Order: sequence, then structure tokens, then C-alpha cells
Amino acid sequence: MASRQDASTGQIVSEESELGSDEFHLKVYAPYKVYFEGVVKSVSALNQTGPFDVLAQHHNFITLLSPYTLKIHTADNKDRQIDISKGIMQVKDNDVIVFLDV
Amino acid sequence: MKKPQELAKELQNMKTLGELTSVFEGIASMRIAQIKNQVVQSQNYFETLWHMYTQIRAGSTFKLGTHITDVEKNNKTLFIVITAEGGFSGDIDQRLINWMLKSYDPKKIDIIVIGRHGTTQLAQRGVSFTKYFKLPSKDVNINVSPIIQEVQKYKSTDVFYQQYVSLTSLNVKRINLSTAIEERGKLAKETGDVINEATYIFEPSSFAVVDHLERSMINIALSQAILESKLAQYASRFQAMSLAHNRSNDTVDDLKISYSRSRRAVKDERLKEMINGLRKVAS
Repeated sequence: MASRQDASTGQIVSEESELGSDEFHLKVYAPYKVYFEGVVKSVSALNQTGPFDVLAQHHNFITLLSPYTLKIHTADNKDRQIDISKGIMQVKDNDVIVFLDV
Repeated sequence: MKKPQELAKELQNMKTLGELTSVFEGIASMRIAQIKNQVVQSQNYFETLWHMYTQIRAGSTFKLGTHITDVEKNNKTLFIVITAEGGFSGDIDQRLINWMLKSYDPKKIDIIVIGRHGTTQLAQRGVSFTKYFKLPSKDVNINVSPIIQEVQKYKSTDVFYQQYVSLTSLNVKRINLSTAIEERGKLAKETGDVINEATYIFEPSSFAVVDHLERSMINIALSQAILESKLAQYASRFQAMSLAHNRSNDTVDDLKISYSRSRRAVKDERLKEMINGLRKVAS
């Protein structure tokens, strides 16, 4: 289960309890830069099979990403786009990590 | 003794030199701080990748990303030596090359050089190398893919590079690439989870993912060796600039004393002339 340290209290809190049923945690980062980190409703990417979307409660999944514009729909209904050349995506227990530039 | 005007000009030039070396010293110091931060960030990233990798591979050996792509390997060992691009790096490149050559056997070892200064050093010693790569000028997103393609052709690869210990202490270091990656992975905490095809969906396949992860980790390990070398080179520049800055300060102090003496000598000479003149008028 994903957890983080609360900045104000210093306590370890579970993010699972803060997430809505249609939300999950996403982190997009490269060795030297974090491009996005937060709660989202969906993320769209491209792999060898074709374009795909990841929504909340997605099955555990690891894929190699192809060059594409990563589309992120955040929990507060905003859209973010990140151009990627390559990467790896890991989906595990409503926690998605996208490793870029690898 | 030099004239006061000449000394004043020298003094001004020396002050400008002192200011310049101070600026270069500051730039080198800033670059060192930035690169150190990048090395820490990159290590965190590496550990997260390593977690995933160990959970998938379940005990198989590190094969440099050649589980599914059969790369024909030769029986030689590859030495990669990372040196400075220019000659302004103190004696650390010479130390590195001399150390590498102690283990060099042309029949068993091929050399790849990163950084032009290394090629000059090897040419001076009459040693040939297989390939040369320019030392990347940028400090992020270093593309080491062409080097990885070479690494995959050899049974074993050793990397010789410069290591930053502190601003006043620089080392030369040798690592075996596969061992280094395994060693770095030990820093990551074990989670005990296993990732396999029963619990995960893999696209395109678990072997393709493992190969990609291995290549990624070689990429990060090599990029870090390059970054560490650059860090050591910046530290070497910092040392040179600090030394030059201190010397220019000392010279400025000496010139100030010489300037005051010279001005006093001129005044004394004028005073003597005036007194002699007055004496002549009085007699």
C-alpha cells in the first residue's frame, strides 16, 4: 500500500485512504528530474501494442513505453502532457511509476 | 626600480586577474554542488529500478541486457578510460592512464577512451585504442548508448575513472561494470516481493523488460562514472583557480609595497633636488 510522510505532522499516512475510487497515485521521473507527482484519474501512453490508458484499479502491469506524448488527467480535472522518447511504466496497487530516459 | 605608473598598471592587471580567478573558482564550486546533487538523485532512481529488476529476474545473473538479443561476444576484456576533454586537468589523467596500463595486455584487452586528453596520453605512450568518444559537455541526459553497444560485445568490462573525494582530494578508480551494478543494487532495501507472469502483465515480455532494465542500469552506472569524472575535473579546476587566486592576492600585496616604495623614492628624489637647488641659491 502506498504511503507518504505528512509534511506538517511528520507522520506516515496511507495514501490509499485519501484516494477516491477512480483515482490513483502517479509519479513520472527521470534520473535527474521529477516531471509529475500527484493523484490522477488516468494516464495515456503508447507501447509496442499501441496506445493504452491506465485507470484506477488497473491490474499490475509493466511495459516498455514508445515515443509519445504522455497524457495525464489529474484528480482536479486538469490535463498535463509530457513528451517522452522512451521509458518504463510500472503499475502496482493503484500506484503508477513512469521511469523516463531509460 | 620600476616607475610608479608602471607598477600601478601592473597592480591593476593583477587585481583583474584576481577577480577573474575568483569568478572561475565560484563557477567551478557551483558546478561541483550541482553535479553532487545529480549523483544523489540518480542513485535514488537507480535503487527504485533495481527493486523492480531484482523482483523480476529472481536470481538469474546480470547479462548486460542480452537475455533475448544474442550479441556475439569476444573473449577479450574491455577497458573504458574516462579522461578530460581538454588538457587542463592537472596530473590526474596521467595517473589514471599509467594505472590502467599496469594491467593492460594488448592480446587480451581492448581500450575505449572517453575524453580527448586520454587519446593524447595513450598516443604519447605508443598505445593504440579501439574507439574514442567525446566527453559529453552536458551534465544531464548523457547518451551512453553507443558505448553500451560496445560493452555488450565483451565478456567483461572494467571502467577507469576519476573520483571526487573532496575539493582537495581526488582519486583514480577502477570498477568492473557488472560487479559495480550488483554492488550498487545492494544499497537498495530488499522488499521480498516477486514479480512474475502470474502476478503481472508484461508488454512485450518479461525477458524484454529485464533486458531493458539491465541496459538502463548500465546506462546509469556509466553516466555516473562520467559525472564523477567531471566532478573530479571541476574540483581540479577549482584547486588550480584557488591557487592562482591566492598567488594573485600575494602578488597584489607585493606590488602595493613596491608601488609605495617607488612613489616615496620619487618624492625623496624631488626633495633632494629642491634642497640642492635651495643650497645653491643660498650660497
